[in-house]
Formats: sequence, structure tokens, C-alpha cells
Amino acid sequence: MSQSLRPYLQAVRTSLSAALCLSNFASQTAERHNVPEIEAQTSPEVLLAPLTIARNENERVLIEPSINSIRVSIKIKQADEIEHILVHKFTRFLTQRAESFFILRRKPIKGYDISFLITNFHTEEMLKHKLVDFIIQFMEEVDKEISEMKLFVSSVALARWFRWPPRLIIKQLNARARFVAESFLTPFD
Amino acid sequence: MSIIQQHTSASLSDAWRTINIDALTEDSSVNFDTSTLHPPLPETSESEVRQLAQQVRQLLRGGDAEGALRGCLEMPVYNGSDLAKEAHLQTVIEVLQSIKASEMTPMLQRIYGTPGGSECLDVLMKYLYKGMATTSGSSSSSSGGGSAPRTPTRMTPQQTGFSQVGARPGAANESTGAAMSVLLSWHEKAVEIAGLGCITRTMTDWRRV
Repeated sequence: MSQSLRPYLQAVRTSLSAALCLSNFASQTAERHNVPEIEAQTSPEVLLAPLTIARNENERVLIEPSINSIRVSIKIKQADEIEHILVHKFTRFLTQRAESFFILRRKPIKGYDISFLITNFHTEEMLKHKLVDFIIQFMEEVDKEISEMKLFVSSVALARWFRWPPRLIIKQLNARARFVAESFLTPFD
Repeated sequence: MSIIQQHTSASLSDAWRTINIDALTEDSSVNFDTSTLHPPLPETSESEVRQLAQQVRQLLRGGDAEGALRGCLEMPVYNGSDLAKEAHLQTVIEVLQSIKASEMTPMLQRIYGTPGGSECLDVLMKYLYKGMATTSGSSSSSSGGGSAPRTPTRMTPQQTGFSQVGARPGAANESTGAAMSVLLSWHEKAVEIAGLGCITRTMTDWRRV
């Protein structure tokens, strides 16, 4: 399994490094505005060809480059219903804290689980290769986290069976999610 | 005429607020004609694509995989119907899947060394991304038709009495996974040889496959 993960992540890494060539670009429709062109979609000539990197049907990355911003959307592997719920919970937890992640988009684009929006201001402030590393690391960790959370859920099911109060279980789940989110936050401190 | 406007059901609703008035303005940047960004391209018809596919298959059967790869990369379908584009993509993927992993790097190096080889690798990159986008996005039926008969002949030597096709729901998924890993390893090799530039050219080139 990890054998096919390596070329996948490598392809994402090279595509991201190529796509992260951003420059400042003022809006052509509204004066004195400066908006991410990939979101505004007001000038078709500055939007570049979108790139899709797929490992299989359930795992893919969409990179939509433009002159001053790129949008990276990730579809996280979901093998069954539990993982689907866990991914939803997990991405929701992260997107609610989007302002502390700087590059996280508040809403994923259709068909994907989580989206990042990187503008030229981010690449000016942060190191480009670190940004690429962050996304690759996120993709590596997220699969691991989801499977660990799945194990945790089954232990919760066991706890229910032992009649733990639900309050205690929810507290534990939230603590776990917070721990994970904070581990992703550290690169931005 | 009175200052008080006549209210109709259309003006009372909020629907008019969603009209993008920029699209109705002729000299707005939204209406930029992107066809001016690439040279005029000759149109390729579907029959031409099929003909090329036949030639490429003949080369493949004759053992000239490099010639087959060059042949289909030198004639990309930039301007044509969706069917023609799709058919050519299938041809390219078929060629890519028939080449062994150990032959990829030397073959790409040879192609890159010849005149016009850099363009060939750019086209290859375009088809790799398109292949990943269409095979993963649309459905398993299109990929299953193209790749499913190929993979078992090469990859499953054991003949047990059980049919493994459709035994699990993940079986179709695995075949696309195998097709993807071929494309991913081609991608890796192409970047090794032609550098990041070929990805950048894939993004910025308005001649899209």
C-alpha cells in the first residue's frame, strides 16, 4: 500500500512546487481590489489548466492554479461509513479554525473533503517549500489519524457497552480531535 | 411616469441580484477571448484518431514501443470533438501501460534527447494529468473497458476455480488503482528527466488535450 503512496505524494509535491509560482495581481474588474483570481473567476486568461493527481477513485488531489492564487483540494480516503463520518467530523473541526491555519479554505469545493487556498501573500510571508511540505505532511498524517480515530471509535463502542456516561465519551473524542488539530497548527506558530 | 415603479413578481424577488452583469458587458475582463492565447489549431477528426490508434497498435505488436509512444505523442488532439480526444487518451494510456517499468527512464531519455523531444514530454505530461482526471472522476466503466482486460492477463498467473472478478466491491477500484499507479510512475520519471518545467508548461499552455 505504502508503495503506491510514495509516487502519489511525490507527484503532488512536484505539481505543487510547479504551481506555487505566484505574483501580485490586482483585480481587473474592481478598481483597487486584490482578490484571489481562482476564487473570483473574473478573468479567464489568468486561470491556468487544473491538474488532477489521483491514486485511485477515492483518493485524489485537484490543483487549480492561477496567476495570484492556487486552490488545492484533497479527497481523503474513505473506505466505509465510519470513515466517512470521521473524515467529515475531522475536516469540520479544522475548517472551523480556518483563521489559525491561514491557508485553509473554509469550505471544501464540491467533490472534495478539504481545500486549501494559497495566495501570493502567503508565499511572500512563508517559505514555499515549507508550504508544500505542510500539505504533503497533512496528507500523510490524515490517513493515519482517520484510522486511529476509527480504532478509538470502536473502543468508544466498547465503553458504551460498559455504560460509560456519554458526556465522558464526547469529552474524550473532542480531546483527541483538539490534540490532532493542534499538532497541525504548530507549523504556523 | 411616476417615480414609484411598477412592481412585478420579477422585481420583487431577489433573483435579479444573482445576475452577473459583468458577463453582459462586452469589454469586461470576464469576456476575454481565450482562443487568442494559442495559435490556430488544425482540427482532428475521430477517424484520423482511430487511424493513428491502428498504426500505434501495429507498432506495439511489432515490438517498437518507443516508436508507438512517439507516434501518439507527436499527434496530440488539441482541437477536436470530445470523443476524438477521449479516444486518443485511451491510445496513449494503452501504450503507457504496455511499457515495462524498467524501460521507462531510458526510453524517456532517448525521446528527450532527440529534436522535438521536450515537446513530446510536455504532451505526455498533459495526457498523464488528463488520464488521472478522467479515469478517477467519471466512472469505472470507461477505465474498466480499457484496462480491466489487460491487467489480469499480465498480473494474475494463478488459475484457481474461483472467479475473482466482482467478488468484492473493491475489485473495480483496484483496477483503476493499478492504472493510476502506472500513470503516477510515468509522471515521476517524466519529471526526473524533463524537470518541473514540463508541469508548468502543462498548466500554462492553452493548447489543451
